[in-house]
Amino acid sequence: MKKETIAPYLFLLPAIVGLGMFKLYPVLSGLRQSFYAPAFLQASETFIGLKNYISLFTDPVFWSSLKISLLFNLFVNPIQIFLAFMLALLLNSKLKHIGIFRGIHFVPVAVSIPTACILWNIMLSPEQGVVNSVLVGLGLEPQPFLTGSKQALASIIGIATWKGVGYWAIFLLAGLQEVPESLYEASSMDGASRFEQFKQVTFPMMKRSLTFVAVSVTVSNFLLFSPMYILTQGGPEHSTNVLMLESYNSAFLYSDTGRASAIVIILLLMTLCIVALQFKFLKAKH
Amino acid sequence: MNRKKGSVPLLYVIHTILGLIVLLPLAFALVSSLRPLDDIFRYMSPVSWKTFVPVHITMDAYVSLFVERGFGRIFFNTFYVSFVTVLFGLIIASMAAFAFVYFEFKGRSLLFFLVLLTFMIPFEVIAIPLYSLVDQLGWIDTYSGIIVPGLANGLVIFLYRQFFLDLPKALIESARIDGASWSRIYAGIIMPLCKPVTVSAGLLIFIHQWESFMWPLIATRSKDYKVIQVALSDFITEFATYWNEMFAGAMIAVIIPVIVLLPLQRYFVNGIANTGSKE
Repeated sequence: MKKETIAPYLFLLPAIVGLGMFKLYPVLSGLRQSFYAPAFLQASETFIGLKNYISLFTDPVFWSSLKISLLFNLFVNPIQIFLAFMLALLLNSKLKHIGIFRGIHFVPVAVSIPTACILWNIMLSPEQGVVNSVLVGLGLEPQPFLTGSKQALASIIGIATWKGVGYWAIFLLAGLQEVPESLYEASSMDGASRFEQFKQVTFPMMKRSLTFVAVSVTVSNFLLFSPMYILTQGGPEHSTNVLMLESYNSAFLYSDTGRASAIVIILLLMTLCIVALQFKFLKAKH
Repeated sequence: MNRKKGSVPLLYVIHTILGLIVLLPLAFALVSSLRPLDDIFRYMSPVSWKTFVPVHITMDAYVSLFVERGFGRIFFNTFYVSFVTVLFGLIIASMAAFAFVYFEFKGRSLLFFLVLLTFMIPFEVIAIPLYSLVDQLGWIDTYSGIIVPGLANGLVIFLYRQFFLDLPKALIESARIDGASWSRIYAGIIMPLCKPVTVSAGLLIFIHQWESFMWPLIATRSKDYKVIQVALSDFITEFATYWNEMFAGAMIAVIIPVIVLLPLQRYFVNGIANTGSKE
């Protein structure tokens, strides 16, 4: 039976090599880099301990992008989860042509973030954008949207939400369809109102899918970077300079891999904390 | 759910409004991509029916994308990269899931834990060290550089594992008694049974690769290996005045996945319902 003992490892080999080499190793290597000064000019890197972290914590640019990241997530996550849940409830209704409407909301899934950015960039353009034309047509003031330091972040939240809600609603819709019809029948026989039904049946049964979506939304938004990279480059006036973009710029614009890695490690730790909190909050079994 | 009859028309109205909001930018892009360049902003203000309907329809933008901007090459790259990633991604993940489900072996739970851990590590986070690694391998500006790092996918392994767990174990036992080898069981018995999960996993990988932006941006420099998302973002910075071509490019970037996705949407939802959010 010797063959059997190595058989599982042979099946696993490509996956383990791939994940180990291109996922786990880079994380460890990034952690290591965050303790080193970058090797711009020297032949080798030098170990500098926590200096990258210390200089981050005394850097106003870091604090400002930390604040912007948190602000962005404070709004974008609840908005997306709430809207996705509402949309999933709507798409779960037994209308005749519901398949068509489900299909429509599935379309932005196929629109990548860069493409969505390009479309909305022109839609929201201050002089020539269709949104401002409509606003003016309605007798309102035209807005700067992405070019205004007070509106840029909100505009990106809007774009990310347009792109994301349909996708997350699909996961919640799948969860809603698994709620047994008999539970609704039982509770309506007990004379429960629609709202009570929602509170006593739908919501508890949806906890698992909601947790999954909440965690996925948070993780993906925390690391969202392309809208800021494509649309605003962190501006105007640093108003959209999230941590992920700051890390990208440190690494690929200023070749400061130590600083970039330290930012990423902080981001990773924050993401893990939030995920852990959400699990606890929703008391999901996994 | 028991619904009152009166709420049905209201629901249609809500769905229609939501549908329009979702489709508006895409409809606008389609219309604009069919306009001559000079017309794009001509009817923008004041708003009239001409804002939303093209008066002179032309395919110039699409032609120019292929003739002048080399989108033929960009398309080939994106398709090639997506196809190879889907093919090998499915093989690698299903093999790994097969091992996790049908074998008892040392380190199984530890290895599975590591697979789960990799969910949480998207390319964005590891881009910098990954870049150095891929650079050392000599893969910057090659297809391998774009494709290989994404082949092993923890989420897809997880999807397959959930599906395999639901298959009857007796199937495997009887095949073993008949003397079938493990590779035969995998390729001849298990894989033909898991078409639904293969479709949803394949879609997942396809969308992911078709849409990836940051990694191809970092891993390629020359035009020879450019993929569509990076090419589109260049439009904003490099040729910012060719609006009609930009819309046409965006339209193509959207239409391909829509064509692939919409007919398979049901599988995708079922695949998620049966696996993804369950654990």
